[in-house]
Amino acid sequence: MQVSSVQPVFKLELNHKVTPGIVTIAKYDGTHYCLTASAGYDKIIIHHPHGGMSAGRAQRSQAHGEVSELNLSQAVIALEAGPIKPDCARDMLLIGSPTQILAYDVHNNSDIFYKEAPDGVNVIIAGHFSKYTDMLVMVGGNSSVSGINCEGEEVFWNVVSGKVISMITFDFDKDGKNELLIGCEDSYIKVLKDDHFIMEIAETGPVSCLSNINEVRFAYGLANGTIGIYEEGIRLWRVKSKQNARNLQWSGENLVCCWANGRIDWRDCTGRVLRRVQLRSDAAAMILADYRTVGIPDIVCVSTKGEVLGFPPILDNVGSNTAKIAPSEEDRLAVTELLNKKQALMIELQHYESNAANTSLDIDRPDSAMPTNTRLQVAVAADTDEGCLQLAVSTNNDTIVRMALVLAEGIFDSGETLARHPHSAQLRSVLYIPLKPPRDVPVDVHIKALVGYPESEQFHIFELTKQLPRFSMYTVVSSSIVKSKVVNYVSFRITERVQRICIWINQNFLLDEEIEINNEETKELHISFMCLRDMSRLDLDFCPDGQVKITTHDIRLAGDLIQSLAVFLNLSDLQVLQIHIYYF
Amino acid sequence: MSYDLSRVDYTLCGITYPDTLKILPASDQKLKQRFVVGDKNGVLQCLSIKDEEPVVNFKTLPGKPITCVQLGSNAGNTSDKIFTASGNEVKGYNRKGKVFFAIETSVSETITSMSVIGNDLILCSGRTITFYRDLQELYTYICDDRVLDSTPFSTPNSVRVRLLVIIANKEALIVENGKLLQKIYVPAGPTSITVPPFIGHDVSAIYGSADGSIGVLNYQESELTSKCLVPGAGLGSVTCLGWLNNSSGYHLAVGRHDGSIQLHLINSENLNDKPRLKFTYFSGEPVTSVCGGVITTDEPELLAATFSGRIFGLRSNRFMPGNISSASLDVLANRRSKLEAEVAKLEKQAISEREKYQRNTRSFLSGISVPPLLEIEYELTGATHNNWQEVKLISAVPLDVLFVYCENKLEIQTDSTAVLSICTQQENNSPELLATIRCQAGTRRLWMRIRILDDNETKMEGTRVLIYVLPTGAPRVARLIKLYLSLLPHYSKYESPDIENKQRPCELNILGPFSVAEMTAWLSQILPGELPRPSTTVIFARSHTTLGTFLIYIPEDCCLNAFKLLEDKFKSAYNYHKECEIKDAISSLDLDENVIKNEEEPVLCSDYLRILNSLTKEDNMEETFEVLIDTVEKWYLNWCKISFMGRHSNAHLLKLQHALQNCNISEIEECLTFKTQTDEN
Repeated sequence: MQVSSVQPVFKLELNHKVTPGIVTIAKYDGTHYCLTASAGYDKIIIHHPHGGMSAGRAQRSQAHGEVSELNLSQAVIALEAGPIKPDCARDMLLIGSPTQILAYDVHNNSDIFYKEAPDGVNVIIAGHFSKYTDMLVMVGGNSSVSGINCEGEEVFWNVVSGKVISMITFDFDKDGKNELLIGCEDSYIKVLKDDHFIMEIAETGPVSCLSNINEVRFAYGLANGTIGIYEEGIRLWRVKSKQNARNLQWSGENLVCCWANGRIDWRDCTGRVLRRVQLRSDAAAMILADYRTVGIPDIVCVSTKGEVLGFPPILDNVGSNTAKIAPSEEDRLAVTELLNKKQALMIELQHYESNAANTSLDIDRPDSAMPTNTRLQVAVAADTDEGCLQLAVSTNNDTIVRMALVLAEGIFDSGETLARHPHSAQLRSVLYIPLKPPRDVPVDVHIKALVGYPESEQFHIFELTKQLPRFSMYTVVSSSIVKSKVVNYVSFRITERVQRICIWINQNFLLDEEIEINNEETKELHISFMCLRDMSRLDLDFCPDGQVKITTHDIRLAGDLIQSLAVFLNLSDLQVLQIHIYYF
Repeated sequence: MSYDLSRVDYTLCGITYPDTLKILPASDQKLKQRFVVGDKNGVLQCLSIKDEEPVVNFKTLPGKPITCVQLGSNAGNTSDKIFTASGNEVKGYNRKGKVFFAIETSVSETITSMSVIGNDLILCSGRTITFYRDLQELYTYICDDRVLDSTPFSTPNSVRVRLLVIIANKEALIVENGKLLQKIYVPAGPTSITVPPFIGHDVSAIYGSADGSIGVLNYQESELTSKCLVPGAGLGSVTCLGWLNNSSGYHLAVGRHDGSIQLHLINSENLNDKPRLKFTYFSGEPVTSVCGGVITTDEPELLAATFSGRIFGLRSNRFMPGNISSASLDVLANRRSKLEAEVAKLEKQAISEREKYQRNTRSFLSGISVPPLLEIEYELTGATHNNWQEVKLISAVPLDVLFVYCENKLEIQTDSTAVLSICTQQENNSPELLATIRCQAGTRRLWMRIRILDDNETKMEGTRVLIYVLPTGAPRVARLIKLYLSLLPHYSKYESPDIENKQRPCELNILGPFSVAEMTAWLSQILPGELPRPSTTVIFARSHTTLGTFLIYIPEDCCLNAFKLLEDKFKSAYNYHKECEIKDAISSLDLDENVIKNEEEPVLCSDYLRILNSLTKEDNMEETFEVLIDTVEKWYLNWCKISFMGRHSNAHLLKLQHALQNCNISEIEECLTFKTQTDEN
């Protein structure tokens, strides 16, 4: 399938530079869309192609007749618009500066409210959330989210673990009320329902954009170039690019992704690229709006140089190239595809053939030889000296592991891979790869190892996938050795057999031997771990009376453990009895 | 208006080298033409196409890789005699596939290009051109660098043959009777040439070049000239050229390393007219041959072969849907189902072989698994500006991941479509580089740039770079490619050894009991690219790609002498550098365009305005100044190292640096005389 390009349906120049990411579109008079963007530090430009602006604070721009400029005395961090006044259909402009939010009625040239934001402003959205009937202004700060009504009063507030960098409202649990989806800089997508988080989705990089698709799906984009789609908390697909996604929008039946370098691609529901367009400069934003007032929203792309392009949704069976393919052409494409396959198969067969030809001969290690019964084994073990997990990759004969690549996301300091390529003097049949997952999330590691002889010109590739459990960085220590010095603990009560707890431990920790409880009568379990990151101690005590005590100095770990245990045991509500923290 | 051509796949063959597919001239009775293709397995096939289905007319047994296929020509007409070259052998076949001619030549290297004209056979191998007449070696001519392509022209009123030759150091030559008549430098770096079929007795040819551009070479009145017709525009280097003649005229077909195929309409009245681009197609893998002929329909079409051995036609859509009768539709469907059956059979076979292979891994009886080497070709160019060296890699199978390892500090860049990921070092503070390059699906060619990061120390040996190439599918083997980055990567351009240097060159004489082979081995550590094969006497010269200096060693006063050679270049680079700075400063002011253009109240003085408007930045130029400064500084340090046992005074170095930055020539010269320092010592 070939990727086609498209021509825009409209094109205009703003004659102003546009700050990436700070763009919105709004109907200030209730009927006509106006593109609004930040054009430098404290300047906001409003494009009003459908009619003049009533004079006010906004001044007509010298560079473009249909653009008005609005100057604030503070830096513009975020822009959003929405009909936040309950009795009014006109959109109000919401301007976020580093420490405050201004709601401004562009049409009437009046301020609606002015609100201090002590936690900073990173994202502003306007939408309906939870039980609140009025449209709210939701502000994502450096460690919190808050909701403000049209009077400028704060109606809710909640703590978020990391800096909030993207937000949407979305009915996650399908109860008819919207939840707030929060994309955090610490690589989580969090779902806020009323006043508590009902889900945390661990991702592999800062979640820089989120976008609604339909009632059950939403799209996300990460700062490391990954984009993908979730349906009911399960990821359907993801792809990774070198670029960062600026915006994602759902148009027609396609996910449109606008990349920071100005490339825009349309993907079908499986992530395959259907068509692609390149802007002449970097992209500032992409929004979905009916800017031509034709009844269906177009994709509106804005470049950093102020170029605006509009693309209609791809409509099936309307003059598209695929529909017109004649049967003969279809056959020809199939022939090309079949020959592709044939070529690949012939190369593979050639490979086996020459193998068979060689098995009879006794060759002393030519450049690409390897005993046919070579196998690769992988093991993971905790290394307390180095404070990491050691992934051991070994062969079962005198061949050596020349090189190993580990592909995993979010666990390496730089890039997506970790490689080990020993010195030629240190080539062995076993190779150790140190892993240090920085967060307690389950990680899939893909290993590609090259096996052969030291002087080989060609190596055999062995591929394996290993899953590291969520708490793999905690290794069992005998609880008898030293009594724990940690005095901080969390305790709560559950009514669950200790055998089930064992299953949870076996699934979530990396153990040399699985814990087994032979005696049906056993009612308690005491187990101690050591964290490989900082050598701190973690004790888990499950008492006969159902009381559970987690002793650790890391409150986040305690929270993660409770969360994981609660999900495993299917507990919806857990009453924590006591949190005991000493500050030193 | 551009053409609408679509691809029709015909058949597969082995790996093909450039220009190994040729269309035979039409025979009298039949309108449709046959074609021949020779591959790396040594198989030469002659095929015709019936209802889009290939029909084999003859096929030889596998043998030595066929590196060149050529049709004989007689008095300007192509004959149906087929000549193939493999290694140092040349064979001739008639159109029935019968060998009528075979010769084992005396050339020492693989024949890369040849021409047959009448009874003359011209072979290019390595640096030599060998001319045979009636199977007798007439003469050989040795060029300064590798011969890339050559084409013969008959001379009026004479039996002598004039040769137009292009060689790897970007030069084009006219050779006649073993003597050089003319030589010019073509900056684009021609890689292949073709003679237009409509040309009479003129000596002109179209060339395609390494930077992707197309141009024309003319030899008139003993004057060889070159002219660029189409700039490269970011496309890959040209690998092959061909012609397609149809009702609208003569078209030049261009196949490129990046997989593109283009058709340019050429004015047959005047070759120097700018060709008009009519069609572009991307095949996804390097194209090795393109030529036009009547293959399936009555309309001439373009036939192309790729590196991995795909042979397909590109033909006009006019003959596609509506005009096709239902009978041929059936034929097509038939072809498809036949192929489907064949692939299914192959799949079954592959599965059973795969199982057998995997069973072996569990058996106690160990055999040896020796998969054939992956078909990968690569090329490392000499350094251009800013020390970047380019690596081009093509593969017959799609690539998945490349892993690059280097013990030294290395900087790396790659295609925009591939994901480059630099891994953390294996040990803290180790300078090594570990990087992975993850390719997009279907990638068969990759381009990367590498450079050694200078730690300001004169190294004594080159740098080894290891690249492990992992393909996507089976066979699951990874090929290791070893690159050697030489010490003097800039000296990649071959020069004629007898250059008249205006200045007294600095000389290094080495005497000792070593052979030429040993010397060549030593030089191969230092110089990039291929060196001439060792023989009793080897003379060659190389020049620096940006500085324009020749190989220099450091005898007495050398720094000063060397600097004097550079002085003019240094001054112009300095001026350019200053102007760039001013331009940067002006543009960073972010002045409104209207303000600048306002002629009534000029904001900028006229000099600034000139700089702002006229100066177009070129990467090369801007960096040249830095390169020059670095070089001079290094000379200074190296000199200190040799003559003052490594001691150098920082004050002097600072003084030199300051003088260089400000282009204070007299002060630089003073520093480079080392007077004061010698006194202090």
